[in-house]
Amino acid sequence: MNRKIRQLIFPNIAQYLATAVLLCASGLAESPAAADANLKEFNDRVKKYVELHKRVKGDLPAMKPTTDPAKITVHEAAMDAALRAARSGAQQGDIFIPALQPYFVQLVRSELKGAAGAKAREMIKDGNPKVEGDPAKISVKVNGMYPGDAPLSTVPPGLLRKLPPLPPELEYRFVGRHLILRDVAANIIVDYIVNAAPQG
Amino acid sequence: MYYAILWSYAAYRRLQHCKLLRRAESPRRSAATILILFWMLRLGLTSAWAQQTNLPNKPDSLHFAIIGDSGTGGREQLEIARQLVAYRKVFPFDLVLMLGDNIYGGETPGDYQKKFEHPYKPLLDAGVKFYATLGNHDDPNQRFYKLFSMNGLRYYTFRPKDGVRFFALDSNYMDQKQLDWFDKEAGASGSEWKICFFHHPLYSSGERHGSNMELRKALEPLFVKHGINVVLAGHEHLYERLKPQQGIYYFTSGGSAKLRRGDIGNTDLTEKGFDQDYHFMLVEIYGDQFHFQTISRAGKTVDSGMIARTVRKTVTAAAQ
Repeated sequence: MNRKIRQLIFPNIAQYLATAVLLCASGLAESPAAADANLKEFNDRVKKYVELHKRVKGDLPAMKPTTDPAKITVHEAAMDAALRAARSGAQQGDIFIPALQPYFVQLVRSELKGAAGAKAREMIKDGNPKVEGDPAKISVKVNGMYPGDAPLSTVPPGLLRKLPPLPPELEYRFVGRHLILRDVAANIIVDYIVNAAPQG
Repeated sequence: MYYAILWSYAAYRRLQHCKLLRRAESPRRSAATILILFWMLRLGLTSAWAQQTNLPNKPDSLHFAIIGDSGTGGREQLEIARQLVAYRKVFPFDLVLMLGDNIYGGETPGDYQKKFEHPYKPLLDAGVKFYATLGNHDDPNQRFYKLFSMNGLRYYTFRPKDGVRFFALDSNYMDQKQLDWFDKEAGASGSEWKICFFHHPLYSSGERHGSNMELRKALEPLFVKHGINVVLAGHEHLYERLKPQQGIYYFTSGGSAKLRRGDIGNTDLTEKGFDQDYHFMLVEIYGDQFHFQTISRAGKTVDSGMIARTVRKTVTAAAQ
């Protein structure tokens, strides 16, 4: 093959391959049907978790407004213990399914990247336990306890609008750059995606 | 002032008879005397300042106090709490708004006791109701603590008096559900005064955090749409009264137990700022007037004034 033609074609093939790999990794190469199926799978798993949460909650005395803070901490601890026991085999990716993780990463990064995302990046550092708390106190793991004395990161409203909505039992938060799924009543980490937020 | 000096002198004379003081040698005695005189005078002046309010203090108006970033359990929180108690004698308020970071650090029953129940015990015993909003240092399960009046909700609304409605928002997690709720509730409210309170300020000259632009994008259009009059926030450990933004009056009051001295930056947002001591606010809503007074830990008034309610048409009404 003519050298000039080879020079023209091969670098382009490499570029095409690199782009394809990136697209696959970011989930953009998926067909809309596959993306929808993944999102449905995520929502189904969230629903299943919430059913478990409600079942566990139903077995405990109802949490009603109280003047006794001990009742709040006891209820939180009981929820925590029961959910951990019920999900003792849970692993990372059980809810943030691997096929959908690139989609979440891409969503988060598109909202937080560059100069336009600077304010949102600042916002997720606000209250972020790795920035404002004691970083040693929190380790991100499934069924791991979110320390009671650690602050909670603020989540930008623009990002919350883009992320799949969650029922009130669960919320998205950031610990460092990791996006976590946190059980509000039990104060535990249900699942997480490593380094979902961009650096900086 | 005259009474304060007289009271200090009387207390000093009484202390002169103290056995320990009489036994002490002369230079030590002079030092102790000066120290005692200083503290007596300070206490006397504090009690004298505590007698002063610039508020109309009408019996049929709504009186309330505001504290922000208050839950440390430290000396400063106790001092502010003491001032609140002293001021309540001359300005009888029945409710206190808490602008978030209600309990810093751990949230054990002991923490609730140390960082809330103990400092404000005289107010709680007197039946004063506290209405809290969640800060970034607060576990959302605080919503079940009855003394925070959140009734198990992360965001809520209440109307303590005809014509005045408060909206407590959770600015840590402003999802679409909450925005829709606020849009509906604020739209349905026919109150003349609509006041929002939450933790993160939409406008701020604080150098530590500054204005929260993301929240502003989400909330400001709704504030304008529904004719919100006043917005109260904490988070910045200072006091700032901002120049009205789109006809809305913003206050940041996040220094009731934490202080970031000298943190107010040079912006064109500030109408009045104070970052030299801890503070709290007293407010009275009297008809179409919103009177406010901001008081430092030493009992000194650092800002006061009145906002007259202006009737603003909602966006929907303007379009008709």
